[in-house]
Amino acid sequence: MDTALLNSILKKVEKPSRYTGGELNMREKPLVREDGFRLNRFALCFPDVYEIGMSHLGSRIIYNVLNERRDTYCERSYAPWFDMEKALRENSLPIYSLETKTPLGSFDIIGFSLLYEMCYTNILTMLELAGVPLRSRERGEECPLVIAGGPCVCNPEPVADIMDALVFGDGEEVMNEFMDVYTECRVKKLPKKELLRRLSHIKGVYVPAFYSAEYDEKGDFAKLSKTDPEAPDKIERRIVRDLDKAVYTGDLVVPYMSIVHDRVALEIFRGCTRGCRFCQAGFIYRPVREREMETVIKQTDESLSCTGYDEISLFSLSSGDYSHIHELVPVILDRYEKDRVSVSLPSLRIDSFLKDDLEKIQKVRKTGLTFAPEAGTQRLRDVINKGVTEEDLLRSVHDAFVSGWHGVKLYFMIGLPTETDEDVLGIAELARKVSREFYSMPKELRGKGLRCTVSASTFVPKPFTPFQWEPQISTQEVLRRQALLRNALKGVRGVEFSCHFSETSRLEAAFARGDRRLSEVLISAYENGARLDSWDEHFNKPAWEAAFEANGLTVEQFANRRIGIGAPLAWEHMDAVVSQKYLQLEHERAYEGTVTRDCRKGCNGCFGSRCSEFCGKGAGNE
Amino acid sequence: MRMAVVFTKEAPVRFVSHLDVQRLFQRAFRRAKLPMAYSQGFNPHPLVSFATALSVGMTSRGEYLDVILTEDMTPEDFIALVSPHLPEGVRIAEALDLGVSNKSLTSAMRAASYEARVKLSRPVSKDEIDNAIKELLSNEIVIQKKTKGGIKPTDIRPMVFELKCICAEGNEARLEIRGALTASGGLNPEVLLGVLFGRMGVDHTAETERTEIELERAALN
Repeated sequence: MDTALLNSILKKVEKPSRYTGGELNMREKPLVREDGFRLNRFALCFPDVYEIGMSHLGSRIIYNVLNERRDTYCERSYAPWFDMEKALRENSLPIYSLETKTPLGSFDIIGFSLLYEMCYTNILTMLELAGVPLRSRERGEECPLVIAGGPCVCNPEPVADIMDALVFGDGEEVMNEFMDVYTECRVKKLPKKELLRRLSHIKGVYVPAFYSAEYDEKGDFAKLSKTDPEAPDKIERRIVRDLDKAVYTGDLVVPYMSIVHDRVALEIFRGCTRGCRFCQAGFIYRPVREREMETVIKQTDESLSCTGYDEISLFSLSSGDYSHIHELVPVILDRYEKDRVSVSLPSLRIDSFLKDDLEKIQKVRKTGLTFAPEAGTQRLRDVINKGVTEEDLLRSVHDAFVSGWHGVKLYFMIGLPTETDEDVLGIAELARKVSREFYSMPKELRGKGLRCTVSASTFVPKPFTPFQWEPQISTQEVLRRQALLRNALKGVRGVEFSCHFSETSRLEAAFARGDRRLSEVLISAYENGARLDSWDEHFNKPAWEAAFEANGLTVEQFANRRIGIGAPLAWEHMDAVVSQKYLQLEHERAYEGTVTRDCRKGCNGCFGSRCSEFCGKGAGNE
Repeated sequence: MRMAVVFTKEAPVRFVSHLDVQRLFQRAFRRAKLPMAYSQGFNPHPLVSFATALSVGMTSRGEYLDVILTEDMTPEDFIALVSPHLPEGVRIAEALDLGVSNKSLTSAMRAASYEARVKLSRPVSKDEIDNAIKELLSNEIVIQKKTKGGIKPTDIRPMVFELKCICAEGNEARLEIRGALTASGGLNPEVLLGVLFGRMGVDHTAETERTEIELERAALN
């Protein structure tokens, strides 16, 4: 790497510390071990900019898991911002790793974290800047192995032609098995085809090249057949049984620049028991696995002392549900009060009884409060199994107002299955009640002015949810419902409305449920100039429209299609362990408006016959 | 007590912005379990202040900050406590016990020196640079300065105390600059170099290091 040239570029680009590395706790290793073994070089790539990627807990765990291995050195790389991409191209410099400034093209493995669909073009930017061909079949023996992991792998088909292999589920264990096989094949100098064959025999590893897809006369996905008889029929999601004993982030890399989640994030449990029917994370991270309180405290100690952070987030999909939350919060606050460490609890549910905890948290520092009722009426909240009531919300905001908060955010979705205008107007009604709750309090008890933000996003149907068969509503209809809501919210004191239906919600829906043909659409869109698509202001609509058209496909056929129950699903070779039968049952219950209980209160049978194997809570609780 | 710290900002952290340098120190102090005093109010923050910012990309041999401590300690103990927690590229060169003084470091700043390693688009002799410097310093040096009210012509000549070429060979040259640096502003050495080489008709890229900030000790008492 020409460092003088790189420095002259870094002087000109925005936020250069995105590209410099050298942070505290960055892992450094000799590239060759004492016994002469050259380490596997693994480039852990996040297909978005540094401040987003460094905020992702999962890849920070994988970074530690891989670097704990004696045979592997894992380095990081992030997607360049527009100015940096341009500068790299103009100066013919390759994209490189932050640790050793090694060009990505000379790594053994390039591994991407797939967190959301709208980051896919950034994968292509990074591959191209690495000089690596975009399609798996175009890459020869000399090319790095290109792999991916993360939640989007539950429907890997839209990136199937790009990836050599994908890993499905929790990475803590499967990545070790993956690297064991990799090392063995590398030492034996086996060809890539044989490496892929052996990798595909690891539970949870998917090699798309061993399967081919067919489509019916209407142009819908018909089936996926194996082209390699030894490839598995189903790719089973990997599940770490004992989170308490699992490797965590270890010494966290501390960025210089401020990142999106600039704090210690400590995962108190994985999975969620609530079963909201729109929520993919709620299904693909089952079952719930908690960390012991002692482990949480120990890891908090370690993380704070090796980073110097003054904030810790007790992180999970629904932190108020942690079995020991009322013990944990005061223990952590007391322990660090003199060090002025503040605690935040993300993803709090409205029905968690946390008034006392909130008051204690506020003693150190005040953080924002966000509630997510998701839908405006009880009917629709029952359809989506949100399980919270208007009373829950009003009680929660009341508690927050009494404790001195005067800013709250309320999150809703527009376009949920069965939604009517009445449900949309219900959002405004709820906001009005929140406003009334605030202003009916005596002045001396509440803050000065209410700042209540009502935010409405557009529903995106996702695989492995009971709504996977549902269409997204049309663009026109989204805009009409938004206008309806905006009107209804006019004049509600202290309430602000924020919504954006962007084209990206449509594309997200198409890619979430898309099939293999979207790989070529993706490559066309990239070649047409699509970049960093999740950044709305940079979204390149013409590039995408032309890409779909060039491939004879439409966004609508993926985003707005109702898939028949029992019809082929592009992701049915992926086995998320939650059974398709259970999802069907939940789909029926949604339409009946029947609520399914929180599975902490008793097993609902989502794993079917495999309950005892993966969860084991079932029988005893019934 | 109040401790002043002279620290370096070397190559590995040269692109870290001023705001991020502030956080870097706060975190290092926390890791070192330094007994920092905190501000009062709703969002208490540690009482750490910096004399001045350094341009992103520039390195420095001596930047200043001060920190209020709730316990007394010697400068030696301070350095021993904090140094192991600093990232690569940041080193404490000196610590000074400021006692009870509450005058800001910024108000005591007077001048700063810089060293620039310059790469030029054509070979230039030392004589040619020396002559250009002589010419430059004999008159006003008016630059177009961006201010809140728009672009304003400003004479920076009074802020230039010294400008000399140490050596020049082939396409490379080394220069030393000493200029004003006070609470109300200071000389930007890279702007000065831009004017110099612009008038010589040479394109240049500079790697600039701040070698010293001059503080008036008396102004701190």
